[in-house]
Amino acid sequence: MKHANRVLAALLSLAIIVVGGLLIIEVVADRINHRPALVHWHHAYEWLGRTEWLAGSVRVTCVLLILVGLVLLAAELKPPRVSRLRVSGSIPNTDTAYTRRGVATAVQSAVADVDGIRDTSISVSRRKVRLAATAGAADNGAAQQLREPVVEAAQQRLDALQLESAPSLSATIKPRRS
Amino acid sequence: MHADKTNRSLLIFLAILLTAAGALGLITGFGVFGSDLQHRPLTRNRVGAFIGRDGDWLWPVVAVVVLLIALLALRWLLLILTSTDRSGDLRIRSDSSSGIRGKTTLSSSAVTAALSSEIESYRGVHSANARLIGNPDDPTLAVDVTLQQSANLAGVRRRVETEAFTHVRQAIGSPELPIRLDLGVSTKRPARTV
Repeated sequence: MKHANRVLAALLSLAIIVVGGLLIIEVVADRINHRPALVHWHHAYEWLGRTEWLAGSVRVTCVLLILVGLVLLAAELKPPRVSRLRVSGSIPNTDTAYTRRGVATAVQSAVADVDGIRDTSISVSRRKVRLAATAGAADNGAAQQLREPVVEAAQQRLDALQLESAPSLSATIKPRRS
Repeated sequence: MHADKTNRSLLIFLAILLTAAGALGLITGFGVFGSDLQHRPLTRNRVGAFIGRDGDWLWPVVAVVVLLIALLALRWLLLILTSTDRSGDLRIRSDSSSGIRGKTTLSSSAVTAALSSEIESYRGVHSANARLIGNPDDPTLAVDVTLQQSANLAGVRRRVETEAFTHVRQAIGSPELPIRLDLGVSTKRPARTV
């Protein structure tokens, strides 16, 4: 979210600078020439002067404002996704953690070493590691036989990471599509 | 750090402003403030009348206020584009008992490069990258280490913490230096030996 915020903030600040600059130019031009300089704002002013509050265009604009505002508010207030999982037993003044991607790669590599596993995908959250593996076998029975070694390999690797709050493991093994 | 806190605060403010403006306009259009206002043009209200009546002095004042806001926005933009969390060179505290006066600075890149090299020399480490962040008088060392898939993960971590970090703390004379270590695992599969 930080990167998206930086882009949004840069665009917003740029918009404030441009609109502010235009407003100052128009005020000065109106004082000197009594004429618009760059923006023909008289048309907009006349439109505002004849459009009522119950007009459809006003309602649509208001609904759009509410939607944009609520989406932005929800995005800003949403708690950030956990990016690092702390390890236990670090030395003093040292904050050690595995990155979320690091945990996923570690588990994925352990599962990939299990014979008969063709492909794996891992998603890691603070509390749960979800593992989806595809067996080389097209038969579901044969694929399910790999469940135990897969879970064991993944759990062993998770234990080896020595995470402070170890996430639980859930595994799904699917047969290869024939 | 690219004004992250300011960005979030101002974007939340903007979101509240947009929602409130939209809601106010919508309920006005639905006649919550009376059918008289509902049927009036957008500029026919107290604010519109005030602007129309006092425009002679109001617009120059608005222009000055807008100029100040635009300058603040420019400062904000420059902060977003140019600021960094890196702390710069380290000031080493002199030993007052030695009687030698002077100022000693230690290049942060020298410290971080030496640390990265030491960690990269460890068996099981794929790559390492370090940087000093925060206040130059009280910096934090941020270290990213990518381990090989075949590495003894706990063993390498312990070695980095007890050897490399002890060395860097000794080198800069700060045994309490806070260090943040982020460990990753390389996606490269180790070569198989036949």
